[in-house]
Formats: sequence, structure tokens, C-alpha cells
Amino acid sequence: MKDIFFELSVRSVRLNFLRSLLASIGIVIGVVAISSMGMLGTNMQLSVKEQLSSNVNTIMISSDVVRTTSSAGGPSTSQGVTKDQLNDIKNVAGTNTVIPIHRTNTEFTIGSRDGRGSMYGLDPDDIEKFLTVENGTSIRGANDAVIGSTIASNFNLNIGSRIKVGEHDTDSRPTVRVSGILQSRGFSADGINTDNAIIVSDEWYTDHFGDKDLYDQVNVIVEDVDTISDVEAAIDEKVNRKKDVVRIMDASSRLESISQTLGTITTFILAIGGISLVVAAVSIFNVMMMSVNERVQEIGILLSIGTEKGEVRRMFLYEALILGIIGAVVGGIMTLVIGYSVVSAMIGSTAYFFRPESIIYIPAGMVVGMVVCVISGLYPAWRASNMDPIDALRSE
Amino acid sequence: MTDIPLIRLDDVSKVYHLESGDVTALDHVSLDIRENDFVAIMGPSGSGKSTLMNQLGILDVPTTGSLLIDNRDVAAMSTLERTHMRRDVIGYIFQKFFLIPLLSAYENVEYPLILKHKQRDTTGRAREILQAMGFDEKLAAHRPSQLSGGQQQRVAIARALVNDPKILLCDEPTGNLDRKTGLQIMDILVGLHGKGKTVILVTHDPKIAEYAKRTVVIEDGRVQEA
Ligand SMILES: Nc1ncnc2c1ncn2[C@@H]1O[C@H](COP(=O)(O)OP(=O)(O)OP(=O)(O)O)[C@@H](O)[C@H]1O
Ligand SMILES: [Mg+2]
Repeated sequence: MKDIFFELSVRSVRLNFLRSLLASIGIVIGVVAISSMGMLGTNMQLSVKEQLSSNVNTIMISSDVVRTTSSAGGPSTSQGVTKDQLNDIKNVAGTNTVIPIHRTNTEFTIGSRDGRGSMYGLDPDDIEKFLTVENGTSIRGANDAVIGSTIASNFNLNIGSRIKVGEHDTDSRPTVRVSGILQSRGFSADGINTDNAIIVSDEWYTDHFGDKDLYDQVNVIVEDVDTISDVEAAIDEKVNRKKDVVRIMDASSRLESISQTLGTITTFILAIGGISLVVAAVSIFNVMMMSVNERVQEIGILLSIGTEKGEVRRMFLYEALILGIIGAVVGGIMTLVIGYSVVSAMIGSTAYFFRPESIIYIPAGMVVGMVVCVISGLYPAWRASNMDPIDALRSE
Repeated sequence: MTDIPLIRLDDVSKVYHLESGDVTALDHVSLDIRENDFVAIMGPSGSGKSTLMNQLGILDVPTTGSLLIDNRDVAAMSTLERTHMRRDVIGYIFQKFFLIPLLSAYENVEYPLILKHKQRDTTGRAREILQAMGFDEKLAAHRPSQLSGGQQQRVAIARALVNDPKILLCDEPTGNLDRKTGLQIMDILVGLHGKGKTVILVTHDPKIAEYAKRTVVIEDGRVQEA
């Protein structure tokens, strides 16, 4: 059925095409803003989650005291997990794998190029328990090192390449030899981010950076992920007996807190997108008021010859809805392009873009845009329907 | 049954409350209009003719007094009932035609049918009435702005007739037309009166008033029937 009031609204929009189009641009921007922001947040969450969920079976133990400084040869004033604590952890952990980790940040030089990255000291036997050497071999000789994939590609490193390690201003900087290159790991839930790191043996590490028997982090990889909270509690019981000396976290709780934070960020950027919708609502309201005020006499005609108030209201709400549909459709199409670009630029991957959780933001944004339009049209429509027909007819 | 007139005004007053004081536009008017009457209403500018027409057209309600139309008390009706009375019982013909600018001539005539039946006209009634007013298919597709004054008034008459109302209210229907066109419109109204419509017509022109069966003169809101 072709509704005469819808027809009147369409013609009114067509008559004031430019004005309607300009008002719709506000809605387009609003829809694009909330849809792409929502997608950005969701894609961020999805990609982080995916990366993190591979290490949910890891418990991370670190000193409760913030680490201060540590440099090659320099005096060590830092705190960490002590040898005694490590033994306690090992006792409690039973057959689960315990990996003590040294870590610092250091400058390094390859040929004539300088760089900065993480340096890990690990027992060579532990390396392949949780890392994958993609090229070459793990650490065998005293001066061997395995390196992350990012560092390898950035500095064109191969097996056998040499890296000078340590702060640039120190006199004699030790050299390591690349024995292997690790598989890319991304942002990892177990706190060991190796892509931009150099990994040496624990002996080499303590020889050059100190901190013997003092570990920056101890990871416990549990065999059965269901026992993780029991193991955690046991470690807590044993090591934090008198007071909290170590902080114990597991990857899944970390995952939870990270996704919570990301959720908050998503809400926040959605709210920013929402502001543009408020602006759009004002422009739609404005155009609808203009439409009502320009058509006072026409409204007077409609009312005087027997049009119901509800029908007049409907006519103006249709008009607002048409503006909303134009804005939402254009906005939805543009979100496909803009959202895709934003996600690919900010996250570096569009692998999750077409996932339902992500793509749902396009129809959702469109619906929100249309609803905002109709809401903006409520008052103008109400005003039109409540005009006095005699007064309205008299107006020019 | 027949002794109750179609329209009965009993001691009707209309007072506008303005900041500068009250304006009494209708002052204790009593008037009966029977079915198939043809009444011309005359009087100087500002005497209250349009105010009276607004009461008869149920666009307004009397401040005091009672108005019965088609045996129903206007004051007792709900807003929606008044709207439906305007749609079904009364046809309006205005000096300024007042066609809906966004609709074609045909759609303007079809419009009251849609209001009444909540669907587009499938009976051909709108087209038929417009044809009787001398509109062919092509002219019927024109928008009001593309029509002459006389053509617009004929569309307005067709629109007023399409729901077959008992009463035709015409407030200076020839006021915006030249003499010849005005007389053509009057011929149409006379014909409609002949077909049983009750016609009430406001005019300043005594020649036009001569078409009516009787003339009511209003001065300062009071009726002086001639
Ligand atoms: N909405 C209104 N508010 C206040 N006063 C009004 C209103 N409508 C009419 N009046 C006053 O009521 C009186 C009668 O006006 P009305 O329009 O009925 O005159 P009229 O006889 O139709 O005049 P004309 O021949 O010029 O059309 C006038 O004094 C007018 O100023
Ligand atoms: Mg008048």
C-alpha cells in the first residue's frame, strides 16, 4: 500500500533536497563514527584475546617491589624473586614446569646500527619448553643467543650474526652470536614478549648484568589448566606466608583484566562517536523545525479538511525517518570502507573485521542513526500536529 | 425529524481574549439553516463572517451558546470526532483555494477519500468528480502551482465534494477570481445546491449573493437577517 503521508514526506524531502542531504550528512558522520569506533574496539579486543589465549596455562610470579635499575656491570639494587623463593615455588609446583627468567632492557649494536630491545636470560634447557626456534638452533655455546623475529627482520640478522650488547657508553661491550631465530609470538599473555628481544643463557646474563639468583619473573606452566588456581593458591600460601613478597598472576586473569580495559576503551571511543550523533540530532531537529515552519499553511489545510493529528505527526516522522534512512544507508556503506581502513591502520590486521561481533556494528550503527533521526523529529512532528488550523491557515 | 434543522446556532458568542482587551467577534448569534438551504452571508470587513464560518466548519468552538450540526452538539465532541465531522460532513471551499501544494490535482481530490478509507482510491470516484469539473487526465496530473485560479478553485470544489458532504462552506470562493471565472464557479455551486447540498457562502458582492435563496447580514458580530 502506498501511504499518502509517506508520499508527502518523500516529496517534501525531494523539494528541499539539498537541505535534507546536508542534514543527513550529520547522520552519515554519526553512523560512521560509532560503527567504526565500535568495530575498532571489537577488533582490538578480538586480536588481543586471540594472541593471549594461547598462554592461559601460565602463572607469572614477580617481585612485589618495583624494579629499579640494572645495567651491565653496574651495581644491582633491584629486587626480584630470590633463590629461596624460587625453590619454594619449585617445591609447590611439583611436576609442573618452572621457568625462572632474567630480564632487562638494553641497547645493542649490529654492525654500525644501534637498537634497543629486551634481553632475557633463560636456562637454555627451558627455552624450547615454551618458545619455538624457527631457524637455527637453541642456545648451545656460551655466547649463543636466540633472537625474536622482529629484531631479526629489522636488522637483517642471520644465523651466525654478531650483536654487541650493553649500553653504548660502556667501554667493553660483550658480543653474542645468533644461533637461532624464534617464531613470531606477538603480544603474549605470559609476559614474555620475544619478538623484539635477545635471549641469552642465564649464565651469560648474570655474568654481564649481575642479579645472580635474583629473578625478574618466574613462570609456572601448569600441565592441566584446570588446576591453575590451585597451584596459584599453593604458591601464594608458601611464598607469601608472612607478607606479600611476590605478585602472582595467571594469564587468564591477565587476559580478563586486559579485555576489561579494552572494553572500557571501546565504550569510551563509542561515546566519542556518540557525540557526533548528538550533533547530528541537532541538525535533524533544525531541519525538521524548518520544514514544519515553512509548511504551516499546508498543515492548516491538512488539519482543516479532516486530517487526524496522528496522521500529521506520522507525516513528519516519516520525513525524519527518510533523512535517517538516507544517512544510515550512506553511513553504513561508508563504514565498510572507513571502518576497514581504520581497523587495518590501527590494528594492522583485518582478520576479525568480518566476524559477527565486529560487523554487527554496521547495522547497529545504522539503526541507532535512524532512531536518533526519528527522536529528533518527535517534537517538530508534535508541534505540527497541535497547530490551530485557523491560525495555521491564516499564516503566509 | 425534519423540524430539527441541519445547523442550529443558539445564542452563540465568540470572544477573542487579546492583551488589548476582549474582542467579541460573534455576539449572541442565533441562526437555523435547514437541509438544502443556500445561504449568503454578507457584511462589512471585520463583522465576523469568517468567525461564523469557522464555527460552522467546526474549526473552532463557540465561547458560549450551543451549536448543533447534523443533530450533534459540537461542544460535546472530542477532537477526533470533530476531525471526522470535518472530513465526512463538511466540504470547504476557500478564497485562496488552499490546495496541498505537494500533491497533483488528482491527488488533492483523492486525499479526503484516503483520509476516510485509509487507502488509495480504487473506485474511480476522485477521477470521476474531477472529470465533471472539466479536468482531463493530463490536467489532473498538474500540481496546483501549474493551474490557473479558476482551475484551482474547481479542484478545490472537487476535493470538497469527494466524500459527499451534506454541507458546503464557501468563504468568498470567488474573491480571488475575475468576474467571468467567478460566475462559472457560482454556476457550479448552484448546480450542487440543485443536487441537494446545503450551501453557505460568504461574499461581499451583492450580485453573487443573488444566487442564494436567502441572505444573512452580519454587523459587529450580530445577525440582521434581510
Ligand atoms: N484569531 C483571532 N484573534 C483575535 N481576533 C480575531 C481573530 N479572528 C478574528 N478576530 C477578530 O474578530 C473580528 C471578526 O473577524 P472576521 O475574520 O470574522 O471578519 P470577517 O467578517 O470575515 O472580515 P473580512 O470580510 O475582512 O474577511 C475582527 O474584529 C477580527 O479582528
Ligand atoms: Mg473573512
